[in-house]
Amino acid sequence: MTRTGVALQTPQRVSEPELIARVLAGDRIAARDLYDAHSARVYRLAFRLTGDAALAREFTQDTFVRAFSQLARFRGDAALSTWLHRITVTVVANAMRKVKRFRERETDLEDVHPIGSEGAGVDPVLRERLHRAIEDLPEIYRTTVIMHDIEGYTHTEIAEVLGVAEGTCKSRLSQARAQLRAVLADLAPELES
Amino acid sequence: MSEDRFDKLMRDAAQTFHSPPEPPLEEMWAEIEARSGFRAAPTIESVTPITAAPRRGIRIPSWFAAAATLVIGIGIGRASNSVGHETQPKAPVTVAQAEPAQSTQSSDTLLDRPYAIETSQYLGQTAALLTSLSSDAKGASADAQLSTRASDLLARTRLLMDSPAANEPAMRDLLEDLELVLAQVVRLRSNGTRTDLDIINRALEQRDVIPRLRTAVADISAN
Repeated sequence: MTRTGVALQTPQRVSEPELIARVLAGDRIAARDLYDAHSARVYRLAFRLTGDAALAREFTQDTFVRAFSQLARFRGDAALSTWLHRITVTVVANAMRKVKRFRERETDLEDVHPIGSEGAGVDPVLRERLHRAIEDLPEIYRTTVIMHDIEGYTHTEIAEVLGVAEGTCKSRLSQARAQLRAVLADLAPELES
Repeated sequence: MSEDRFDKLMRDAAQTFHSPPEPPLEEMWAEIEARSGFRAAPTIESVTPITAAPRRGIRIPSWFAAAATLVIGIGIGRASNSVGHETQPKAPVTVAQAEPAQSTQSSDTLLDRPYAIETSQYLGQTAALLTSLSSDAKGASADAQLSTRASDLLARTRLLMDSPAANEPAMRDLLEDLELVLAQVVRLRSNGTRTDLDIINRALEQRDVIPRLRTAVADISAN
């Protein structure tokens, strides 16, 4: 599958440990540099997971506020980007549980998440069915499929972000795809013809 | 469905599923900077007067005001604690240290009062805002002033969620619901539609938010 995402590592003018040290010392410019290096990717991930611009914005803010407040605990075992994306996934998962509990069950998702018309060549009905099927996946499968197939993270990166073994990540992706195929199965024959 | 067909669909999904818009980087940074305490100390040039009146004034952020209220409340509680003990014979310091459990219990009871006052005021103001929101549903969508009030209340909600005021499960549930509602009201400022307002109002009704608010205010007042 073609990778559509960008690599986790972001080019740095200043070394990451130096930037972190400066942020810990209260350097506002360093904090902004760190934000500039990672915010677009964090927002992108948050949006992919929520499908809502306001929520993605709020969760991106929460991610960075939490990251800055806990930066002293970052030990550098993984890349800073991995650590940030781990916070993002956690923030989104926790908040979305509350959001889903609150939202009306009968709310038509199409009112909230209009499906774009880009990506010619795919039947719109099938596309809509697939999008709904992705949204309906259990959280662990949905996160894996969005990170791997939609955002282009590698299994190694996803495993680090989610804190699971790489094999677990592959297994989840396989399960997720099987569920998606099953949902689309009834539409497949006519589309194949 | 063939592997190729499915892969083609997933490639399409990579382009079309929750396709992210341009991130509002500057707006997000402003919020992060303020919440993280990176903002530089205000200079005379950067201070914004509260009104256009010639009177000099420093604009106090809402979160600071709420935090200050809580801190002042704690101070009042501690002062009340001291005053209460003055009516009784003074015990040597060593005795107080020898009975920490009793001392702590007394202090906690008094410390709850400022939180109760702050919570009561907050709940009353939130009830007023949400009630006005319900009536606005019949007319136009929320205006910027409403959104600003909601933003202030949202900041106070989060402070209270991290305070002893949220220790009680029912209050915590209420604060969590209010956090979500107020966040949605704030959203109305930028991209709000009649549909959004309707969704908020339906959610308010389904979760019985306003009746629960009034009950909470009454409970606090009764205590």
